[in-house]
Amino acid sequence: MTSLSRRAFAITATAALLGGCGGGHRTGRSPAGHPGSTTPSARSTGKSARALGRSVPVGLEIPDIGVDTPVIRLGLAPDHTVQVPPVTAHDRAGWYRHSPTPGQTGPSVILGHVTVGAHGDGVFRHLARLGRGDRVVARLENGTAAVFAVYSVRTVAKADFPTDAVYGDVGRPELRLITCGGPRTGDEYRDNVIVFAALTSASP
Amino acid sequence: MRRTVLSATALACTAVLASTVPAFADGPSPVPAATVTPSESPAPADATDPSPVPAESEAQAPGEVTVVPSGAPDTGVASAESGTDGALIGGSAAAVLAAGGAAALLVRRRRATTA
Repeated sequence: MTSLSRRAFAITATAALLGGCGGGHRTGRSPAGHPGSTTPSARSTGKSARALGRSVPVGLEIPDIGVDTPVIRLGLAPDHTVQVPPVTAHDRAGWYRHSPTPGQTGPSVILGHVTVGAHGDGVFRHLARLGRGDRVVARLENGTAAVFAVYSVRTVAKADFPTDAVYGDVGRPELRLITCGGPRTGDEYRDNVIVFAALTSASP
Repeated sequence: MRRTVLSATALACTAVLASTVPAFADGPSPVPAATVTPSESPAPADATDPSPVPAESEAQAPGEVTVVPSGAPDTGVASAESGTDGALIGGSAAAVLAAGGAAALLVRRRRATTA
């Protein structure tokens, strides 16, 4: 019975991945179905990881851009926009607490600053440099880690923020990393840089 | 004879009435039974119907975003220093240009006086 259910799960997961990733060439999924999006790499599609249990993220590592940061919790601002981490010298990333924890089914959303005013670079200063297949590790409160592979990096105007693609249901464990980018107007950035990643494995 | 006919008729009527009384008595008993059965049947139906719905929503609750924020996140505060830096760079470039122009003028004048 358990082997049957495992088989059923494997078939379902494979079908979901095949349907979601378009065979690893061009994505047909609605959340990532946008111009300029790239598909999950072979690493991310090949190792379809099972969804993890709920455990709040406490740290984030992105080796390719030298990020190793604690993760704080963020909620909603009074104007119903998402809160962002405080502007401090020791900038940290923040997890949007109304999104799934990393590894749970759905898009787990983590935000960080690109710059923090007079303090200089933010924790996500070089987020736009990430590319398909790059590794992102979320350290969880229960001592485990959820490992993701980047499948798309988008720079979009804030005026056209893709809410559905970022926060919409995806049916599998995914990660969104968000910061600002593009040209500056005064002390504000025109664009958002959004990294889309899919869970590849979990390490104890 | 008439008496017997009348009494027979009266007996028949009472018998009919007597038979109808239990008929009335029987009538109400199925009615509550009927009301009980529907009341019982919707109750479990109602009890079973809502239970799967929360179960499904609970199953979905561990995943996906529960509250979607509005707008785009403001995840970048450009440094005010960068503006002053730009002004400094522009100012120094202008100073260099002015110094170069002044030097060129001096050289010209010297050449003119020596000639």
